[in-house]
Amino acid sequence: MKFIENTKIKFMSFKKVGFALSATLGAGSLFLLMLGLNLGIDFKGGTAIGLSFDKEVSIQEIRSVMESISVGDQEFNLSTEEIKYFGSNKEIMIKIKSQDNTPENFGQGIVNHIYKSMPTKVPEDKNMFILSLGAVSPKVGSELSGKAFWSIVSALVLILFYISIRFEFKFAVGAILALVHDIIITLGIFSLTGYEITLSTVAAFLTIVGYSLNDTIVILDRVRENMKSSGTVLFESTINKSINQSLSRTLITSLTTLFVIVVLLMYGGEVIRPFAFTMLVGVIVGTYSSIYIASALLATIYKSSN
Amino acid sequence: MNNTLRTRLLSILFIFGLGIYALLPSIRYQLLSDDAKNNLSQDELTYFESKSIKQGLDLKGGIYIVLEVDLPQLINTLAKNKDKKFDKFLEELSKDYKNNSTDFFTLFEEKALEKDLKLPKYFISYGKTKDQIIEQLNLESADSINRIIEIIQNRVDQFGVAEPTIQKQGNNRVIVELAGVQDSERARDLLQSTALLELMIVKDIESTNTIVRQIDNLAAMNIEKTNDDVDQLFDTNNSDENGLGFSSLLIAVGSDLAISTSNLSKLQNILNQDNVKQVLDATGSLFLTGNSAITLINDFGEEEEIYLLYHLVDNAELTGGVIEDAQMRLSQSGVSAGQATVQVEMSNEGSREWARITGSNINKRIAIVLDKKVHMAPVIRSQIFGGGTVIEGMDSIQEAEDIAIVLRAGSLPVPVTIQEERTVGASLGADSVSKGTYSMLVGLFIVILFIIFYYKLSGFIASFAVIWTLILLLGVLALLGATLTLPGIAGLILTVGMSVDANVIIFERIKEELRNGKSVRSAIDAGYERAITTIVDANLTTGIAAAVLYQYGSGPIKGFATVLFWGIIVSMFTAIIVTRFIFDYVTSKRTIEELSI
Repeated sequence: MKFIENTKIKFMSFKKVGFALSATLGAGSLFLLMLGLNLGIDFKGGTAIGLSFDKEVSIQEIRSVMESISVGDQEFNLSTEEIKYFGSNKEIMIKIKSQDNTPENFGQGIVNHIYKSMPTKVPEDKNMFILSLGAVSPKVGSELSGKAFWSIVSALVLILFYISIRFEFKFAVGAILALVHDIIITLGIFSLTGYEITLSTVAAFLTIVGYSLNDTIVILDRVRENMKSSGTVLFESTINKSINQSLSRTLITSLTTLFVIVVLLMYGGEVIRPFAFTMLVGVIVGTYSSIYIASALLATIYKSSN
Repeated sequence: MNNTLRTRLLSILFIFGLGIYALLPSIRYQLLSDDAKNNLSQDELTYFESKSIKQGLDLKGGIYIVLEVDLPQLINTLAKNKDKKFDKFLEELSKDYKNNSTDFFTLFEEKALEKDLKLPKYFISYGKTKDQIIEQLNLESADSINRIIEIIQNRVDQFGVAEPTIQKQGNNRVIVELAGVQDSERARDLLQSTALLELMIVKDIESTNTIVRQIDNLAAMNIEKTNDDVDQLFDTNNSDENGLGFSSLLIAVGSDLAISTSNLSKLQNILNQDNVKQVLDATGSLFLTGNSAITLINDFGEEEEIYLLYHLVDNAELTGGVIEDAQMRLSQSGVSAGQATVQVEMSNEGSREWARITGSNINKRIAIVLDKKVHMAPVIRSQIFGGGTVIEGMDSIQEAEDIAIVLRAGSLPVPVTIQEERTVGASLGADSVSKGTYSMLVGLFIVILFIIFYYKLSGFIASFAVIWTLILLLGVLALLGATLTLPGIAGLILTVGMSVDANVIIFERIKEELRNGKSVRSAIDAGYERAITTIVDANLTTGIAAAVLYQYGSGPIKGFATVLFWGIIVSMFTAIIVTRFIFDYVTSKRTIEELSI
């Protein structure tokens, strides 16, 4: 197979197109971000309940059962909370925003209420009825958000540091901006699709940071090597050459990674889907940004400093 | 084969062997039938548990709970000479603390300053200055969390969970992980219940009637007050609810009072009103409900769920501290024969107290109150010696067993609240494992097919490397005693996709060198040499991301970070050292004119 050998694509001639595209996508994403992200209970606090019924149930049915629930000595109307299918029509995921005065064992109280109210559709063993139950207090939610934010920032700073040592600071700037670009656009797509952001999404984000960088560094490595042989002068042609030289590798690795991610999306099950989705978006955006953001920015930075 | 090749082969075989050896216990355990698993002796079980790859809560099912000491409650318990100002202060403080992750005592200090609260007035036994008091209260809080951990440890041990982990987080939280626990409701109750046992005298009927009338009058006054408020005037619903008064909520059941389940929230509203609280304080009494609902047929012939309501002297005659032993027993005689009860034995000192209390309160009723719920309120017929008592009113044998456990293990010095909980049912976990394994196999198959299609014979070498990457990675996880979580499985699958990368970089380099006219032998050497720096640089940055994740993450995420990190290390080994050896070995045998790549 030789379809991507010896390519001589002038990537940098389309630099402006790339910048324009990224700027548009970035601005669009920032705008979408302002409209809001679907933060999961990990960051907002609240209760998430996964239930497994014996027979098919309708969302409407669950809603009406949830109209009046008494937990502890309080009454709740939870019919407007988020209720959706989780895999099949027998499985339901309920997400409840954190309430002002959440009583003790709120989640269990809701489970017990639904269990009692739908006796013909639930399994005999109540333990088989509960798929999962998560509850996060608003306080822990804000702590987790803070931690997630700082983990991404500290990963970026450490990587900036590493590239500055191994390459040059100028290289690092391009690489980091490319990563920020990837994260913003991926977040934008999350906002657009309404996918929920959870702890495992943050893990996926950090993996994208690592992956996208992997790509960038392979190209930058070539740039460094080609600069040495051409006498440390950096021209757009050097960058073009470097991208072309590593193009087949970039595409093949992206492909094998995409293969497994698509498999995960298709067969991995409901729990892993948000993770796989993040990775899917991130790998595509990351591959693009190594070429058009990291390398192109490097060319621009060198041009302006010379 | 020359000497250096032989040494390389031996070291590679050694590492492969080590990987397989580390995986053996996990494989053997997986191959056992369910029956055989149940019949393992304790020693064998410990062996498998310590040597196999552990499954995280999200795969095995189980419960993860973060409990936090109810610090405002602790402060409330420690304070003396409490007045209205203090109550107001504490109420605002606990509201602020609920939504704020700032350190509690920092908030405490700020709020005290804001409210101009003279701390020595309430905490004189802890110091004379603000700083002394706060330091001492801090110590009290640290002490209480340590006692709580000890007690919870005790309870969990008696509950019987395979591998519980209980750790302290920060200075006022404790994380409890119970893997494989099916009945999360029961486990949660066991962990969280304060298990405060109190024996309280029940007020006589006359004084109860008096206080009900007083509260009725106050409730009426409150409605007039709210009706003065123009905003409230049109809110007819609201005034209707309050307008029912206190006595109209009550139902007489024999000589006891009771309240319908649907009226519980109204009852709490009334009891929480300031002037109602004052009346109750003045008489030194309080209202508590029974521990479980009773179904009655009401005046309209309908079934109605009710709770018994007790009016008690707000001062425990005796508390759970005097308990020496508690056991579940099936009742032998009387109307309750066959029902589960908890038999309590008291210490010597407790027995003496108990004899004195029962002696001086003959013909009065004494309520046995557990965590502010009345279990029973029998009439004291005669003085009781010997310190034995029986608690009735349990719904099931299981409940009685659990109450016996918590009474034996002791009560928590301060209540705890659940800050975070993650329960995974066993079925969801098993489903995740099978879907994860399936995805991994499919992913592996597609990647290998693609690599062989693209790189031909060299593709076989790369595929060989990918398969060994997986085996060695699992071996490392077993050696480290790492926990495999669902994101960890995703990490394994990702490693399959990404570990090919190092080989791709090398192969592309070799192809390039070949195009530049180098011989097969020197192209391989140059390809590997040049690719190594790229591979190390590219992989180390992913390693940095993995290390940060490990630092930041909780259980499942940590599992992912571990897999990602070791996946990088292992894939560098197989891609650089193992495949290089195969190329070198083949080219040393005979001169190859054309490389199949």
